[in-house]
Amino acid sequence: MAFLLRRLAGVVPTLFGVVVAAFVLTRLLPGDPAVFFANSVTADAATIAAVRQKLGLDLPLWQQFLVYAGQLLRGDLGQSVGTGQPVATDLLRLLPASAELTLVAFALAILVAVPLGVAAALRPGSVIDHACRLLSTAGVSLPTFVSGLLLIYIFYYQLGTAPEPIGRIDPFAIPPPGITGFLLIDTLLAGDTEGFAAAARQIVLPAVTMALFALAPLARMTRASMLGVLGSEFIRTARANGLRRRKIIVSYALRNALLPIVTTLGMVFSNMLGANVLVERVFAWPGIGSYALDSLISLDYAPVQGFMLLMATIFVLVNLVIDLLYAVIDPRTGLFHA
Amino acid sequence: MRRRDFGAVAATLGMSGLLPARWAQAQTRAESLRVLSEAGPNSFDPIGIGVNRNAIQLHWNAYDRLLRFGTQTRPDGTLYFDYYTIEGELAERFEVSDDKTAITLHLRRDATFHDGSPVTAEDVKWSLDRVLGIASGRAQFSTGSMTSPDQFVVVDAHTVRVTTPRPDRFTLPNLAGTYPVIFNAKVAKAHATAADPWATEWLKTNVAGGGAFKLDNYVPGQSLTLSRFDNWKSGALPGFRRVLWQMVPNAQSRRSSLERGDADIVQDLPPQDAVSIAQAGKVKVVGVPMAGAFQFIGMNSAKPPFDNVKVRQAVAYALPYQQMFEAALFKRGQPLFGGKPGEADGTAFPQPLGYSTDLEKAKALLVEAGFANGFDTTFSFELSLATVAEPVSLLVQEALGKIGIRVTIDKVPGGQLGTRLEKKEVPFFFEGSAAYFADPDYFFRIFYHGPTRWNFGSYNNPEFQALVDKTRYETDKAVYDADVSRMIALVKQDIPIILLWQPALDTGMQASVEGYKYLFHRQLELRTLKRG
Repeated sequence: MAFLLRRLAGVVPTLFGVVVAAFVLTRLLPGDPAVFFANSVTADAATIAAVRQKLGLDLPLWQQFLVYAGQLLRGDLGQSVGTGQPVATDLLRLLPASAELTLVAFALAILVAVPLGVAAALRPGSVIDHACRLLSTAGVSLPTFVSGLLLIYIFYYQLGTAPEPIGRIDPFAIPPPGITGFLLIDTLLAGDTEGFAAAARQIVLPAVTMALFALAPLARMTRASMLGVLGSEFIRTARANGLRRRKIIVSYALRNALLPIVTTLGMVFSNMLGANVLVERVFAWPGIGSYALDSLISLDYAPVQGFMLLMATIFVLVNLVIDLLYAVIDPRTGLFHA
Repeated sequence: MRRRDFGAVAATLGMSGLLPARWAQAQTRAESLRVLSEAGPNSFDPIGIGVNRNAIQLHWNAYDRLLRFGTQTRPDGTLYFDYYTIEGELAERFEVSDDKTAITLHLRRDATFHDGSPVTAEDVKWSLDRVLGIASGRAQFSTGSMTSPDQFVVVDAHTVRVTTPRPDRFTLPNLAGTYPVIFNAKVAKAHATAADPWATEWLKTNVAGGGAFKLDNYVPGQSLTLSRFDNWKSGALPGFRRVLWQMVPNAQSRRSSLERGDADIVQDLPPQDAVSIAQAGKVKVVGVPMAGAFQFIGMNSAKPPFDNVKVRQAVAYALPYQQMFEAALFKRGQPLFGGKPGEADGTAFPQPLGYSTDLEKAKALLVEAGFANGFDTTFSFELSLATVAEPVSLLVQEALGKIGIRVTIDKVPGGQLGTRLEKKEVPFFFEGSAAYFADPDYFFRIFYHGPTRWNFGSYNNPEFQALVDKTRYETDKAVYDADVSRMIALVKQDIPIILLWQPALDTGMQASVEGYKYLFHRQLELRTLKRG
């Protein structure tokens, strides 16, 4: 418990650093938002000045920062010019979409990558090892927008088995009442099995695309880590003592191989959540990655800052969870006893 | 299950609860339209900070204006706006006084807003005053001599008079433009505050108008649902009862949806897609040259080496126009190269500037300019234009290499080129822009005149500048035409920017969709569309 509190206390300076960094980095962007937003061809210097004042960019930097920090303390992340909505509203609407896609893809990737990596490590050089290598090489080398477009072309355009790759739900269907923001959960809560099936069909292609991308590091790491553990002396001892194969692999080998795998999992997850812009683009998935990119391109400071803050918070939380998992997997880390 | 069959299946299975109530009311496919575009509106208010082009598509259809441009038909049957004919929209008729300084507008007596309240002269007055109350609106309206609210006079409940200090050709077109939508002033005023007297915050996310379509639902960045306003009086009732407009950022995804038959209209097709979709022939592609829009190569004529007119001419003679037109634009547009050199060919502008590829001439001009050994320069373009700009930049680099100009290509991330152009620090670049009004002097005033970034070539020829001022209020057609001819000759000789082409606006649609109309703002006119 003390450990948990200490860790949580450590989060505060990190987040403050992120707030400062987000503010400074957006201000360092070349490009003047006032010029960009005064985009009508009749806009003259007076118009640009008026826009600059309206955006609060005519103030000195330190004043702008105080205004921003003051807003943050009130829980206000500012206004997005790009969507015309408050940033907090935007993020709350978009984060569940990204999170749902990421979690489904993440689950898919784990379900495939870990057994595959273990199997490959058990029989190095076998067919399954080669299959593992092939899949992870393909996953790494195919950019996600290529695999995404390929899947769309085959399953939607040619075969017609997949639904139209646009958004999270059939545009003609009513969305379920938003409780969690996760369509797969909300439809079930509303008892709408038809809606659940529709949302599930919609998520398959983007999730597979993302899973392909996440598969490679996971499978490789599982294989390497398992190989290392399987060659170690305590496994040899276990074998010599005639323990059951299943027990050796699952209880002794896998458990000891898990630490680097969990570390990779954490990194892959955080990466997927923030860096799935291309998948979101290709499938018109209304997620935060797309939103942040659009805002960045259009010099829209508030959403970019909000996004950085949100992602930093998520990274911090994921790292916390990973640390806790370490303690569960490997008591030697001693986190609970210190 | 194909979407097309969904309604029928849903009905037979008795699961109509699954469909939105409005769609379920026996909406036939014939009466609904599904539009896909790259981006959606970021505001419902035509005037404001950073309002994007897609916003026009919403407010154009959800609001009425007092006046609108007429319609002409192109040879291929496509409807096209007619800049030189102006007709009434909310005003059933209007009169211009003999001295051309007063426009009297008579409102339709039966017109109502979406909430059923009648459209009155007070609403009109408030809406026009509002344009002047916001900086970018004021800048636009001043191009039509409208600068003070005193110029908008309520004569009676259904009559409004707009006066200008002197006759101005741009007053009527400004009233038919995208800015002066007529708001339901009572509703809007209820949401105004002391700090925000024009309710800009509220109108950004709410519609208070009386246009042909009502906004039913909006999910930012994803979709808009519109339904027809059945009490609309300002024209023939639109052919579609419902419009579902969705944003799909990826061009390839939009295209496959169109070709699979799931989408009815797909906007802003990239040139190469337009060509290949048209060839495949499953759906139709309507390509219309965009009036007033142009893409060009700019040179900063305020700084060396491009301050030398011979250098600019040398570049203009060295460019491989035809190759660029084919490789970058796939010929989807109207060339602005070739044509009559050195003097005006008619008074319409943009027109071809009279330059064709001639490397010998280019070399000779460069020697005359004192750059026998050429020079080094940087060619910039913005990444958002990359599909066209990238091949253009490579061809420019190659061609200029042949006359000794060594070009480095600089790809500028979106949003940043504008800032650098505003600071006038980009020597040589590719860009595009558009003027809403067709008068040549309007075009020159924006793109060849003044200190703004829109004077892309930093052009500053005293004779030309004097003519820009002189033509502003010219009412004598013969004098005007002579002045414009002179200005055209000057920009052809001085060539501060090299116009390349007017790109086509390519829109893909199902064969059954009819009534497509091209408008000056390049967004969809939903009123004329119908299913054949």
